[in-house]
Amino acid sequence: MSQFLQATVYGLLEGGLLALVAIGFSLVWGVMNIVNLAQGAFVITGAYIAWKLNTELGLDPYLGMFVAAAALFVAGYVIQRLLINQIVNAPIWMTLLLTFGLDLLIVQGLQLLFTADFRAINTSWGTDGFAIGDVRVPYGRLAGFILAVAVTLALVWFMSRTRSGLAIRTTGMDRAAARLMGVNVRHTYALTFGLAAALAGMAGAILGSITTFSPSAAGGYTLQSFVIAVLGGLGNMWGALAGGILLGLVQAWGGQYLSGTLVNAIAFGVLVLVLIVRPAGLVGRPYYEARAEA
Amino acid sequence: MLGSRLRLWSAVVLMLAVAVVTAACGKGGDEESGGIEGDKLQIGAALSLTGSLAKEGALTKQGYQLCQQKVNDRGGVKVGDKKVKLAISYSDDKSEPDTAARLIDNFNDDGVQLILGPYGSPSTEAAAAAVERNGQVMVDSSGADDNIFTKGYKNTFAVLSPASDYVAVMVDAIMGSANPKPKTVAFLSADDGFSQTAAKGGVEAANKAGLDVIAEESFPEHTTDVSAALTKVRGDDPDLILGSVHVEEGIAIVKQSGELGVKPQGFGETVAPPTPDFSEALGDAANGVVGSTQWTAQATGQDEIFGTAQDYARDFEQRFGATAEYHSAEGAAACLALVLAVEEAGSADPEKVRTALTELDTESFFGPIKFDDTGKNVTKPMSAIQIQDGKVTTIYPKDQAQAELQWPGTGG
Repeated sequence: MSQFLQATVYGLLEGGLLALVAIGFSLVWGVMNIVNLAQGAFVITGAYIAWKLNTELGLDPYLGMFVAAAALFVAGYVIQRLLINQIVNAPIWMTLLLTFGLDLLIVQGLQLLFTADFRAINTSWGTDGFAIGDVRVPYGRLAGFILAVAVTLALVWFMSRTRSGLAIRTTGMDRAAARLMGVNVRHTYALTFGLAAALAGMAGAILGSITTFSPSAAGGYTLQSFVIAVLGGLGNMWGALAGGILLGLVQAWGGQYLSGTLVNAIAFGVLVLVLIVRPAGLVGRPYYEARAEA
Repeated sequence: MLGSRLRLWSAVVLMLAVAVVTAACGKGGDEESGGIEGDKLQIGAALSLTGSLAKEGALTKQGYQLCQQKVNDRGGVKVGDKKVKLAISYSDDKSEPDTAARLIDNFNDDGVQLILGPYGSPSTEAAAAAVERNGQVMVDSSGADDNIFTKGYKNTFAVLSPASDYVAVMVDAIMGSANPKPKTVAFLSADDGFSQTAAKGGVEAANKAGLDVIAEESFPEHTTDVSAALTKVRGDDPDLILGSVHVEEGIAIVKQSGELGVKPQGFGETVAPPTPDFSEALGDAANGVVGSTQWTAQATGQDEIFGTAQDYARDFEQRFGATAEYHSAEGAAACLALVLAVEEAGSADPEKVRTALTELDTESFFGPIKFDDTGKNVTKPMSAIQIQDGKVTTIYPKDQAQAELQWPGTGG
């Protein structure tokens, strides 16, 4: 029983963090119809920023993550306005091509800058934890989970209570109508992408303190973002959180009770099952209802 | 109508003609000379310069580069009665075995038939198949999986000790010196061929040493989350945890053991502990971890190109500004074996070089090099190290040890 509980706790904590990784990806896809294959690269960049701050200045990654988020927000905003805006109206395979190229550029750039060495950000408190009976809860992962949930809540508040957030949602629903209402669509799109990049960078900083990373880890995070976004329903914040937690739990339970090597197969199996039962994702509404494109 | 049809066919014919001409002109090569062009001996190396094995590929490349430098500094390779410069050309296999095989074929098309191995068992296995098919000759620097050598290949020779030794040497090192001796052991392995073979060899050695093997768990290669496997063995409280892994999983085992409250007397892991990344990523938690290694700077033996192991370590540090560890040493040793074989054969012809390799029996900075008839180097023993005060310290074999095993290893 304690094995089940431990796996559940671990899966929950991991899942919350995965949700933070994926939430920006889901937002960008739902609002702008852009599948950002460079999502994992943003995550790893955030991890490197936090790592560099930690090794040069001794900055704790939970402070460094704000710097990473800010830096990636700016980068994401600029990338969107200069690059991705060019192909917003183009067929979907153009966005895949562009973001794929972006991913290659960023990953190879990171490799040139930092080499392929495996890095980790060591905190003095990260692997300590407290125990509830036989179940250990590590502080590092717990902090990551709490942060992920907090950020999701903050994002939901932002999207429903602030002008910018509402602008993002309306632009996602009907771009032409939003423009007619006076929304600066170009700026809103860039804001969305910048926000997504910032969240990815923040997640990366936290991940860097929990696990090891190197440039080649980017692809794995993009893949997980993809699964979580589809699982939860595109563009839906709660969906990303639900999807992330579900994926974390499934991977933890699968690893515990089946052969450890089947973890990826199980994750995708769950995705297929959910899509069969609820094609719009766990929380999402049907695609054509959620957004109308001019 | 007719005009456009004619234009289409003309275009097709033109494209075909261009393709044929390019193919004929582009990739010619000296098939007879087997790699000697002018005053250079061309050797091909497909390495993982990018991708998940980029770090290890970079280390291997450093070994090859140092070898090229040392050989050319002393005048070059003696082929017959003239000396030619060693020239290794590198291609990036992106850590993908299929790409490695294709690059080996490309080398063959270019007339390069002497090959230095890629990094890791999967790519080496793929390359070995291509080498065998093309009649090239490959010296394997880092593909240790015994399975590579069960296929009847005649053209691949490995300078490194086989995978089955990797964990067994740690069992011997620990059981030989530990006090109190561990009684139970849990094996945690990545699911790739090399790690599984190493774990099997370790289980055999553990049984022989009287250890009780209480668990054998596996997880996907390259994972950074081994919590499931650790949770499964936590309840049994093993005295010793032996990890048959690479760098990422190795770091994860120690890190997550701390998170999950798994506290054995000590850890032993393959591949990861001797790398600089391991100590940097784990900090204090790395202390006390035992590792196995193909080579340490305390290895005995010397050769005319590198000198002793200490000489090699010094030259490496001078050129690359980092402490020499075994991945680069394997590369340098593979290059050494190839160069010695070419000199012995007096030619770069692959058949003659292959024969010379089968007859090679020499000591070197890397240890003794002699191949059995499957191509494995069965004369070189592996060593064991332990991280003590953040430094990689040789602890086994006893006559090469810099310090004694510190046991229990955890709590450091």
